[in-house]
Amino acid sequence: MTYEFERYTRQTLFTGIGQIGQERLARARVVLVGCGADGSAIADRLVRAGIGQLTIIDRDFVELNNLQRQVLFDEDDVVARLPKAVAAERKLHRVNSTVTVQGVVTDLNQENAEEMLSGADLVMDGTDNFATRYLINDVCVKHGIAWIYCGVVASYGMTMTIVPHQTPCLRCVFPEAPLPGSSPTCDTVGIVNPIVFTMAGIAVAEGIKYLVGSGELNHGIIYVDVWHNTFDVLESGVPRPDCPVCGQGRFEYLEMPYKGQIASLCGRDAVQVRLSEQPLDLTSVAERVRGSLQLVASNEYLICFRASECEVTLFRDGRAIIKGTDDPALARSLCCRYIGL
Amino acid sequence: MKVRVRLYATLVDLVPPSIRAQTPEMRAARPFELEVPEGSTLAHLIEQLALPRAEIKAIFVNGRVCPLDHLLQPGDEIGIFPPVGGG
Repeated sequence: MTYEFERYTRQTLFTGIGQIGQERLARARVVLVGCGADGSAIADRLVRAGIGQLTIIDRDFVELNNLQRQVLFDEDDVVARLPKAVAAERKLHRVNSTVTVQGVVTDLNQENAEEMLSGADLVMDGTDNFATRYLINDVCVKHGIAWIYCGVVASYGMTMTIVPHQTPCLRCVFPEAPLPGSSPTCDTVGIVNPIVFTMAGIAVAEGIKYLVGSGELNHGIIYVDVWHNTFDVLESGVPRPDCPVCGQGRFEYLEMPYKGQIASLCGRDAVQVRLSEQPLDLTSVAERVRGSLQLVASNEYLICFRASECEVTLFRDGRAIIKGTDDPALARSLCCRYIGL
Repeated sequence: MKVRVRLYATLVDLVPPSIRAQTPEMRAARPFELEVPEGSTLAHLIEQLALPRAEIKAIFVNGRVCPLDHLLQPGDEIGIFPPVGGG
């Protein structure tokens, strides 16, 4: 094994993990989808615990209002306007250089989900929306990959450990996804940071137990509310035969036509537009807009400029996030005008 | 017959005013006792509490997930959930 013995002595001393468990962790490949509050806390703990490989998929960049709870980022990342996946990769490399961490700046969607998740031993949920969670559920059940749902908002959070065909999947318990915009998000009702670390801690413990193959897994829902001191463990039974995903093998979220060309980011006063499936030449776009628009930031991953009352961030992977509007039509028109669609 | 009901997450705000009146504000997230007619199902209970069906995504009875036509028994402990979204 290539990991250093000394680093993990306090973990291998714990009988639930031991030397054999540590070796299992060192061989594990985990994919984390979303690297906000939950995602950074999850990534930090997995990397410190010594998993072998971690792929972090995130579509966003670091902003000042993230620092209150997103533990991998700092003020320098805000100033540099680094994509979260890149900032996380750099920070985690300093924490544990023996783990292969790969940050991928993109959104998980119907087009790339199977390729990005297949081959993982475990998928961790750091996303902030249900559309992506139901997509992860489809891909993970289809490919037999365990995944851990973890959602936090305000002062409460919920986590479920999903081992396909052994435990109920997300749709066994929550058959329908809430409509976009119908449930509260951290951007609409806020969040206190302790709930992030509480839920991420539980989710990571589940992940480690699963990868090591010891301890007792969560067979239902764990719900915690740190403001009302609620700590509940609920059983969700067995996979439902009438579940469209694990009972009937219908992967509706994976098979729905990819509509990702334009998407309102709920509660964020922002719209994401996919301009191209090919990487963009950011330098030439920066040159083009420099004369007429105020360039706010530019680095090797993105450029950001102000247009009308909005802030347009253009990512190298072919997406733009337009902040300051929730109107897809306006977002699209700004992209047409300044970038060319 | 009496059952115990607990509303979770956003549903805490929908605890009926008559019950909330007996419950101090900070304890609204606690379970409350409810008198339901014999033969009630979970669907009846949700109607009785005037909860919006669209916001209810999972119901647990005595710690186990149950369908809406589940027949209630005296002393049942019912937890009603929306999914939790953010991250």
